[in-house]
Amino acid sequence: MLRYIARKAVGWFLMIVVATNLTYFLANAFLKPASNYTALRPPRTPAEINHSLALYNLNPDKPIIDRWWHWISGIVTHFDWGQSPTGGSVNDQVAYRIFVSGQLVLASTILAIVIGVGLGVYTASRQYKAADRVWQGLSVLSFNTPSAVASLAVVLVAIALNQSLGSTLLPVAGAQSPDVAGFWAVLGSRATHAILPTISLTFISYAGYHLLQRSLLLDNINSDYVRTARSKGLTRKQAIYRHGLRTSIIPVATQVAFAMPALFTGAVITETVFAWHGMGEYFTKTISTNDVHGVVAVAAFGALMTAIGAILADLVIVALDPRIRVS
Amino acid sequence: MIEQRAVTTKPETQQPLLSVRDLKVAFPSEAGRVDAVRGVSFDLHRGKTLGIVGESGSGKSVTSMAVMGLLPDYASVTGSVTLGGDNLLDLDDRQMSKVRGRRIGMIFQDPLSSLTPIFSIGAQIVEALQIHQDISTAAAWKRAVELLDLVGIPNPDRRAKGFPHEFSGGMRQRAVIAMAIANDPDLIIADEPTTALDVTVQAQILDVLKTAQRETGAAVVMITHDLGVVAGSADDVMVMYAGRAVERAGVDELFARPRMPYTIGLMGAIPRLDDRARGALIPVPGTPPLLVDLPDACPFAARCPVVQDACLQGEPPLVALAGSDTGDEHAAACLRAAEIDGGAIGGTPIYPVPAVRESGVAAVPREDRPKVLELSGVTKTFPLTRGGLLKRKVGTVFAVNGIDLDIHEGETLGLVGESGCGKTTTLLEIMGLQPPEQGSIAVCGQDTANLRRRQDISAVRRNIQMVFQDPMGALDPRMTVFDILAEPLRAIGERDRRTLDTKVGDLMELVGLDPEHRDRFPSAFSGGQRQRIGIARALATKPQLLVLDEPVSALDVSVQAGVINLLNDLKAELGLSYLFVAHDLSVVRHISDRVAVMYLGRIVEIGATDSVFDDPRHPYTRALLSAIPLPDPVAERTRDRVLLKGDLPSPTDDRPGCRFVSRCPLHLTLSDPQKEQCRGVTPPLTARGGSDHRDACHFADTTTSTSVDN
Repeated sequence: MLRYIARKAVGWFLMIVVATNLTYFLANAFLKPASNYTALRPPRTPAEINHSLALYNLNPDKPIIDRWWHWISGIVTHFDWGQSPTGGSVNDQVAYRIFVSGQLVLASTILAIVIGVGLGVYTASRQYKAADRVWQGLSVLSFNTPSAVASLAVVLVAIALNQSLGSTLLPVAGAQSPDVAGFWAVLGSRATHAILPTISLTFISYAGYHLLQRSLLLDNINSDYVRTARSKGLTRKQAIYRHGLRTSIIPVATQVAFAMPALFTGAVITETVFAWHGMGEYFTKTISTNDVHGVVAVAAFGALMTAIGAILADLVIVALDPRIRVS
Repeated sequence: MIEQRAVTTKPETQQPLLSVRDLKVAFPSEAGRVDAVRGVSFDLHRGKTLGIVGESGSGKSVTSMAVMGLLPDYASVTGSVTLGGDNLLDLDDRQMSKVRGRRIGMIFQDPLSSLTPIFSIGAQIVEALQIHQDISTAAAWKRAVELLDLVGIPNPDRRAKGFPHEFSGGMRQRAVIAMAIANDPDLIIADEPTTALDVTVQAQILDVLKTAQRETGAAVVMITHDLGVVAGSADDVMVMYAGRAVERAGVDELFARPRMPYTIGLMGAIPRLDDRARGALIPVPGTPPLLVDLPDACPFAARCPVVQDACLQGEPPLVALAGSDTGDEHAAACLRAAEIDGGAIGGTPIYPVPAVRESGVAAVPREDRPKVLELSGVTKTFPLTRGGLLKRKVGTVFAVNGIDLDIHEGETLGLVGESGCGKTTTLLEIMGLQPPEQGSIAVCGQDTANLRRRQDISAVRRNIQMVFQDPMGALDPRMTVFDILAEPLRAIGERDRRTLDTKVGDLMELVGLDPEHRDRFPSAFSGGQRQRIGIARALATKPQLLVLDEPVSALDVSVQAGVINLLNDLKAELGLSYLFVAHDLSVVRHISDRVAVMYLGRIVEIGATDSVFDDPRHPYTRALLSAIPLPDPVAERTRDRVLLKGDLPSPTDDRPGCRFVSRCPLHLTLSDPQKEQCRGVTPPLTARGGSDHRDACHFADTTTSTSVDN
């Protein structure tokens, strides 16, 4: 098992290296870091701009191979992912933002899976009954709700609630209050700030799991082996849980594992509405500011998350399906 | 005195184990309320077997599901199902789960899908035990292993840890039986338990079922469409049609004196393995009615040749008939049942026997007719590989291993054998029109090795066409019948719309379809009609050879007869040759002039049909023939059976020696040097006594008494 994971990890590592380097060359070809300086007053000459950029290894006059070598040796020797065109450290940004994003998406991912799979099982065993139709209708609605709409709706409701209570029970912006100190106080502040974005993210993402789990389980509920299980003397519910669910949850688990990278960098709109500075925001910001090193770091992070997701998916499948033996 | 009392105690005076009264099941559907079961009543006594026979849609499976309480919630079920005093229909799912598995065990049709793929076989039996009994897991495992041993799974303690995909179909069905009898049930319901299996495995499974019944003393409900299976295993038989029982009697009485025209039709429609005359089969015209808004009339009236006005004036009830001399009750739901005797009314057979068309080709001796297909030494192998990205070859599967056969004009060659023996691979090799790995294939005198140019290939392709097994899957549901039949004509260069129109019309008439229906889609046709469309499509290019891959196995018995007759007529009329692949040996005997028996990629016996069926020489052919149940209870009871042990091994090695050695009953009776010869020398196909009948067994002529020990 460990050998299998090690082998997979090496393969994925090579994949990340290739993807990251490819992104580096693409980003250098398409992004123009010089644009960060052209709007400055007084205007700078191209030579001055290039001189500034050269400080951050972004000088377009320097051969790309030389720049690449500087960049890659920085990563390999001190794990330094470079600077933005205006001199900010990419490492600092990413380290902080991963933490913020993790805080934002972790709770909502777990909630979405639990709610989605739970509803899938509940509605599948009540196919075409009132409860099934109501929940399915709600899920189709939430599935089609743009995240901006969901986030703003949640904000409006929270503001109305706060006003009627006369106190800020549910803060609607930021990841924590700026004026708290001490471990427990910070933790509490962060938790209350996370409530609303978590609700809105959960709302838009649970429906996918619900509808997928429902249809997969329905395929299995009417299968011959669930019928066999019932003919042995299991009640319908027991047969569905013991024989139907375990086989039908495998594809859902795979989907969850592969959704991880998209979650970390995809919550752009939610982050914007709730003024959180996570990876999603960084992803759009680096592109709009022609931040070559930032873009490459985001790509590398995405590739890493995909690799982790894929290995997790393998592990989950092995855990759920005893027929599969890895070697 | 005491003994006499014991004899005169009729089963009727005992309390029946299972008593079903006026069971009705209806499902809602878009077309309206479907009355799937419309008032079924029967009693079943402990230790007895009731056979329920009927075609698809007759309500036999729904009846068993109603007894098990496994119908979906939206089904409306009325009537009563009494098992040992409790009305099962009053119980809810929780109470019913105490009955299922403990008092009633069930065996389903498809063993491939009826076991949970992610749990080991042992775990699934243990679960069945622990639901109803308070025993430790260790004790339950021990019991599970015993059960697997009882149903004949070799190395049960090791195999119990295996997962379903590691088991063959027959082995899985044994495991399902083990599960069904785990808690010593009073009643075993077997719903088509052998339909998905090969004949040799079917014989084994029916044997295991008998063992299981003996061990548990249970009553058995055996649901099947195969009259042969019923004849061999049932005490009483109930024939169902359109959701009702139309005839019920003891098995001997029913087969000897059927009184309902539908039963008579069913019996006339099946080809018999022991029938040498090869007259036309007697199909039952029409199709079963849709079970929506049935009028109050005999549901069989539309298909019945002896229908009277009175039959349409109300549905005849199932009434007991007088004059059955065996003393058993015989009931039929037919107004004219009393008049019917020996399949005839007043001496005139109910079903007119269709005339057989004589083939003009048959007059010419076989040797003088040209060969339309010739295979010599054809071999097809598949590599066995391991590893994901870098595949290593670890072995070779010899799917077809040096096959010689030829088909002359106007001749039908039946190719038979268990699944996995290479029948389909042989067909694909022929249809591929490519030179084989080894050996050669010649179609209509053209060696496929010489076919380089596209025109040459399509010219040969015209002469060889194929009919597929599944008439549903073989027709594009989005093409009309006209398009389906015009497609091969267009492919050979016919463009003129008017010519296409007449040709399609002619083709439809040829296969017995109404040309008016050319604009309909395949879904508007019944299974038998769809297979006729498939045959018409194959005939469109006027081929000389038709390759038929199990063309009737997906059809109901009464419909199958019509298609077989059609094939025979077409052969006589058009001088066609057939390569006919089927697992049903009765059908093969009926339709073939010559037959070839395949085992693990080799032909083990080949010859004229009557010669092979009446005088089988290879031990495998003997076993195959003896495994087929005959639709005749008396013959079934008196017949000796050669039961083959185990399954078809995998053809992964090409060492010399007879491939049948591992299962051969004859091999066991031989002396040591003879055994050595079986293992060391591959037996060639040899003719004995100068006839055309050849077999591949060293000792086929040494002894004929192989059927005694099994």
